[in-house]
Amino acid sequence: MTIDLAPNHKAGLVLANPVMPAAGCFGLGAEYARLVEVEALGALVVGPLTAHPRRGAESPRLVPTPGGVLLHTGLANPGLSAILHRYARVWARSPVPVIVHVAGTAPDEVASCCQRLSGLETIAGLELGLPDTADPDEATAIIQAAHASASQPLIVRLPLVWADALCQAAVEAGADALTVAAPPRGTAWYAPGNHFITGRLYGPFVLPLALRALRRVAALVSIPLIGCGGIHTVEDARAFLHAGAVAVQVDGAIWRDPACLAHVARTLQVK
Amino acid sequence: MIQSDALITDVGTSGPFVRVTLAAPAIAPGLAAGRFVLADLGDYLRAPLFPARIEAEEFDVLISPLHAAVALQPGANVDLIGPLGRGFEIPTATDRLLLVASTAHLPVLLPLTHQKPASAASGGVEAPSLRERPGFSIALLLSAPTAAELYPIRLLPPAVEVTIVTTDGSAGHRGSILDLFPDLVRWADCACIADDPATYPALAEIVREVRAGSGRRFVQALVVPPMACGVGACQGCAVSVVRGTKLACTDGPVFDLLELR
Repeated sequence: MTIDLAPNHKAGLVLANPVMPAAGCFGLGAEYARLVEVEALGALVVGPLTAHPRRGAESPRLVPTPGGVLLHTGLANPGLSAILHRYARVWARSPVPVIVHVAGTAPDEVASCCQRLSGLETIAGLELGLPDTADPDEATAIIQAAHASASQPLIVRLPLVWADALCQAAVEAGADALTVAAPPRGTAWYAPGNHFITGRLYGPFVLPLALRALRRVAALVSIPLIGCGGIHTVEDARAFLHAGAVAVQVDGAIWRDPACLAHVARTLQVK
Repeated sequence: MIQSDALITDVGTSGPFVRVTLAAPAIAPGLAAGRFVLADLGDYLRAPLFPARIEAEEFDVLISPLHAAVALQPGANVDLIGPLGRGFEIPTATDRLLLVASTAHLPVLLPLTHQKPASAASGGVEAPSLRERPGFSIALLLSAPTAAELYPIRLLPPAVEVTIVTTDGSAGHRGSILDLFPDLVRWADCACIADDPATYPALAEIVREVRAGSGRRFVQALVVPPMACGVGACQGCAVSVVRGTKLACTDGPVFDLLELR
């Protein structure tokens, strides 16, 4: 038995397992090659990437918080051309489908990325991240730009706080599946530098927030949903599946325990 | 690089530090000065541990009595990811090696006191340690706020020539390492620093003044920001360098001092 994340797309996006890493946590596909049993997973989600290189945020990017961590990378990545040059062969060798996460910075940049990625057989699907501040109109414009440019199935990752407000617009704009949700943003005081740092929050405390968002989205739309946020155990992953997700993404837990990814996947193997 | 349990085989003291010995046969051979493991000590972020002594199947870490790892007891297991990072690289032709450290950071440099030449270390050829080679010498510029907080000199290999600096003058030179660094870096043909990165700009300025035109990695410095993954996946451990940003976990944590910004 398999899971199709894009049953209405001509190519489909079929996974043999519901478990995959979350974008922003697994690098570009090679970093964890020696620590994670990739073949046990349903897919790899790599990136985020942007059309042009981004230097990213200055140091420090990482601030420990009670029970978790705040991370602000500023979308650091070498840009689409460099990434394709270095990683296309890595993705081609992947034993599981590769989903590339494109940062939804602006419609024209998203369209540029998706056009370059379109038709590449090594990429089974695209996941589009939305700005946390996007309203339904902005989100629609970005998703439509991706949908019009990409040949692969399109997953849209919703901002946690706006997941229920944006989900229907995302479906209408062309999303084949939704990831619920991107890690929430928070702000930490960085005492040594005497300034605040705003970034994404990772840790088990995210799970109840993401689970609530997923249940609300599940009540509003009927396309495949991917649960994401604070999964650290098999039971955490099962909670998302009970709430209406057909698949899950594991985020910061990979950093703590890379082996947990394959463990969760093997335990939840579709019979 | 692997994820593996290490067995705590011994816990003791070494000067102001707690010494923890970890049996990790699959990880220890890949360690070197400045390389590290990420240990699961119960916090959300794994803790970087740097080896102070490396043997074929085990290694020691020297940690502050306030470090979370002091809770480890002999017989316990600790989950490690490693070996990670790019450590200090001592050219085989080095004759005069300078080590610069505050006492708090000294353990990271201790393996260099019996460092093997790079060619032998990577090729598996048994070779004498650098310090046993005729004409090779190591100088250590060691600082602490007071004499009471210094790492005991008697615990260092006798061949290491130690120059002490204390802030209050209770031992050695009174002042800071910046006072004595110029003469020592003139003498050296390779220097390795493990200190508070706040001192690095001033040290770099001295290197530019007294050793202008020195080769790449003539002076290498340790920078350890908080890390999450250790493999370059999370992009969290950024270090600002002259031409952009590098990651401490994969590009470092040892960098060319003159490259740091």
